[in-house]
Amino acid sequence: MTDPYKVLGVSPSATDEEVKDAYRALAKKYHPDQYADSPLKDLADEKMKEINEAYDTITAQRKAGGNRGYTGAYNNVGRSGSSGFNDVRSLIMSGRIADAEQILNGVPPERRNAEWYFLKGSVLYRRGWLEEAKDHFSRACQMDPGNPEYSAALNQAMNQGSGFYGGYRPNANMNAGSCNSCDVCSSLICADCCCECMGGDLIPCC
Amino acid sequence: MFGYVRPFKSELLVRQYDQYKAAYCQLCRALWKHYGRLSTFTLSYDCTFYALLMLSLRESKLSLRRGRCVMNPLKRCDFLESDGEAYHKAAALSVLLTYHKLRDDLADDGFWKSLGSRLLLPLASRKAKRAAEEYPFLAQEARKAMEGQREAEAAGGGVDACAEPTAALLGALFKELACRELEGAALERFGYFLGRWVYLMDAADDLAEDLKNHAFNPFISRLGLEGKETLSPQERKAADEACNQALNATAAQMVLAFNLLDLQGFGPILENVVLKGLPEIQREILFLHVREKRRKRPEPQDLR
Repeated sequence: MTDPYKVLGVSPSATDEEVKDAYRALAKKYHPDQYADSPLKDLADEKMKEINEAYDTITAQRKAGGNRGYTGAYNNVGRSGSSGFNDVRSLIMSGRIADAEQILNGVPPERRNAEWYFLKGSVLYRRGWLEEAKDHFSRACQMDPGNPEYSAALNQAMNQGSGFYGGYRPNANMNAGSCNSCDVCSSLICADCCCECMGGDLIPCC
Repeated sequence: MFGYVRPFKSELLVRQYDQYKAAYCQLCRALWKHYGRLSTFTLSYDCTFYALLMLSLRESKLSLRRGRCVMNPLKRCDFLESDGEAYHKAAALSVLLTYHKLRDDLADDGFWKSLGSRLLLPLASRKAKRAAEEYPFLAQEARKAMEGQREAEAAGGGVDACAEPTAALLGALFKELACRELEGAALERFGYFLGRWVYLMDAADDLAEDLKNHAFNPFISRLGLEGKETLSPQERKAADEACNQALNATAAQMVLAFNLLDLQGFGPILENVVLKGLPEIQREILFLHVREKRRKRPEPQDLR
């Protein structure tokens, strides 16, 4: 087995706290939930297993308590009781995207219900056609507004456009810290105003 | 290709910046050595990224050598040499992509505008032929991508369909670099979304110009801007934000695949490109409107 310290990217002289931090950072990076819709799930699971083992080995060596890594992952497309497309769902779950798409494309337009749009969106999403996936998810939500499965998928697709998970966020300040001197002053003045409203005072001179 | 795939300079360590520069200069030398002096004009940040990725995926022996700049003998330059064929291969890709770009321009532009491409084409096609003999896989993928692009745009496809050829090109190129199968899946996915990001960035960058020239751009129909020639500031802002969201969604998927790669050597530089460099380009083009069109050959000093 490879050196567990190398796997976690810490030196053997690192403290328990440092090992834990390194493990947490990596576990966040490889967390299977992020890869639930991705064909890279196997690789992410493998990495996750690797760091779990490394962390377990180190903690066992150091006799510093147990550890439970993240186990299990949800998948956006699951089995659903009243599904008219169980074959498509199991194809998507087993990663056979092209086969699933072929079946979906064979469905005549008049039989395309909300679930059809959701599943087609899932197929497109896995292929990387993110824009059309988004369109299909929102169509599914329009046709069946109460369905939590469809709205979760739409939410996820929309969230990734926010720039929080990669790319550029126009409203976040990337270059300076999130709090500059201007923010501090305006927050203080604001707090002062609030205090004054309630009869108190934070900054006596204004 | 486009020059969007570059590091964010102020977040690089000085050591990393020097390494990047030296690798960039070495790629320029490789172009000159294998494909002649004129081919050094095809040098780009994108192909440098390809070379660095190749060098980071397997152990390679690197050595720094001092010398003179290929283009300007008065300037001193560092060259980061390596064993193996990474630079040669990246140079071949650069030549092949430029050749296809020239052919594309020739088909699109009018007689006078394409005169330059027309004059350069025979020379470029000779070099491209040599590159294709040395790297048949690269040549085949590049040709496939250009044909796919032409078909998708002729069919008036949507954003996703138009981005597919570039995305698939980088997916195939990166996958080929893998040493084991599972790694190949991550590399392919990473390449797919990087290529998609590059295509979308270019389309977003050209949107205003394409509207004016009545040229094809997948974002025009996506954002419902058909028939418009100029955009009001509000419309422009809304369009830029919509493009930014599409790019962010692509970047999010790219980061997931990138995190799974085992990178040695230039890993931190590549990480800078993916996590900081690409968002910075989105900021510059969509929010600051720094539209310095890629007229001149970029230098590493131009990195912002």
